[in-house]
Amino acid sequence: MTATTQRPTPPRGARERRGALAVVLVVAMVWSLSGLEVTLDRLLGAPGDAWAILRQMVPPAFARVYERGAVGKVFESVYIAWIGTVIGAVLSLPLAFMAAHNVAPVWIRVPIRQFFNAIRAVPELILAVILIPITGLGPWAGTLAIGIHSIGTLGKWATESIESIDSGPIEAVESTGGRWVSSMRWAVFPQVMSTISSYWLFRFEINVRASAVLGMIGAGGVGSELVSHLVFRDFPAASAVLVFTIAVVLTIDTASAAVRRRIIRGGVGRPDEPSRSGEALADLTGIRL
Amino acid sequence: MTHAAGGSVRPDRPPRRPRTLGIAAAVIAFSLFAAREVGFDPSTFWEVWSNPLWEKFWPIPWDWVTDGSNVMGPLIETFQIATISTILGCSLALPVSFAMSSLTTPNRPTYLVSRAVMNVVRAVPDLFWAKLMVTAVGIGAFAGSWALTIFSLAVMVKLFSETVDGADPGPLEAARAAGGRHTPSVRTGMLPTVFPDYVAHALYVFELNIRASIVLGLVGAGGIGRVIEAQRQFFRFDRILGMLVIIFVVVFVIEQASVALRKRLV
Repeated sequence: MTATTQRPTPPRGARERRGALAVVLVVAMVWSLSGLEVTLDRLLGAPGDAWAILRQMVPPAFARVYERGAVGKVFESVYIAWIGTVIGAVLSLPLAFMAAHNVAPVWIRVPIRQFFNAIRAVPELILAVILIPITGLGPWAGTLAIGIHSIGTLGKWATESIESIDSGPIEAVESTGGRWVSSMRWAVFPQVMSTISSYWLFRFEINVRASAVLGMIGAGGVGSELVSHLVFRDFPAASAVLVFTIAVVLTIDTASAAVRRRIIRGGVGRPDEPSRSGEALADLTGIRL
Repeated sequence: MTHAAGGSVRPDRPPRRPRTLGIAAAVIAFSLFAAREVGFDPSTFWEVWSNPLWEKFWPIPWDWVTDGSNVMGPLIETFQIATISTILGCSLALPVSFAMSSLTTPNRPTYLVSRAVMNVVRAVPDLFWAKLMVTAVGIGAFAGSWALTIFSLAVMVKLFSETVDGADPGPLEAARAAGGRHTPSVRTGMLPTVFPDYVAHALYVFELNIRASIVLGLVGAGGIGRVIEAQRQFFRFDRILGMLVIIFVVVFVIEQASVALRKRLV
């Protein structure tokens, strides 16, 4: 046996850690399976059931669903997401300035941060459940739910980007005797606005999916279409609705990602940049050529 | 304009380009149109406070909420759904992510197909999957677990394949240069580098799943959402509020634990 064929010994403790991880995973699996009424024939039957439905979904009944106005419903979801994002953006922006530790005093910062955390903890659907009896069924309930929920995430992201700015411009404004509002407007705002507006667009992408879901409980948008087709087991129609939704979601993701990239990088094209069409293709398909 | 007068002269404002104004006008016009479409009604903001339904939210019936079978049972079921889906989804995501990264993909067709399929899967919202699964395998937690497994897979491959893309290719090249076959090369040349990130992403997906599993029941896919849906139909908003308080506390504790664990890993 020569020294070259000898394997190096693994680092100490690696084996024990791996063993512990495996035990934790097995225990977690057994525990969670115990509560889910899983029987062997259900488990074995599930792929078959899913396949049976998948087969009925092809070909999708595009024409029938289009005539029922499903495309309009998809766009309604987009409008809900847009207005929800606008509400969230408008309300969260001033709050974020009051929540960042480098520009706001502690007595106002802490409550506003907790307010953001509390809002983020409640899912949009639960908000919609609470709002529907107040606003009535329809898109306005979904819009409000998305708007309120967006305040939480947008506020948190905006706060974080305000906290990461260069403090030089603030000192410059303060040294000229500017008040708090002026230093926010002229020192902080120009530094953070490009990042924050790209967060708004990113949140809009998330909200499009969220608003599609909200329709399932009657808060407007395409979800109600999908539910009603699935309840009546009209699978060609359901798959057509799914295809419309996927098409719109992917288009919006692509367009929004392109705009975000442009906001962050600025309008000036650089020679080393990959082509815009190549990047758009990458956003649409996830394939980077 | 001169700067000789002792610095009291303001610098010129950058000119507003007509295109910027055009974009702003288009955004505002679209917002106004969309606002009309969704029935934008600012009066809700103040009329909401005078709504008689608010009385139904208070007081919270604590003895109903703390009765084990009402809230804690379904809540545990919720976490069981989240746990099993995270484990299954993230296990499946490991090979798929390697197929989806140009560094570790076995061949070009696998790369293209896995990326395209996963992008479409991710474009379908999580509760759409839940509803589809409920239709396919019946109402209950079983359907919810399947839906969240798909959702975890879709999120995990996105996060983890990007980590693999950005990882150091050196060890992998070394393994290949030594004549390693594909799978052992990835297993010894790439996996050890990215494994801490894998676990951190898996914990993040677990947090997402905990949140997502709470609402699964609203479409019949099991868990605490089923109770929320039932109480909503009876207009028992006091009970819903009580449940939300419990959910809030439990989710907060789990998330803080998970965040602390993730910070230690990466």
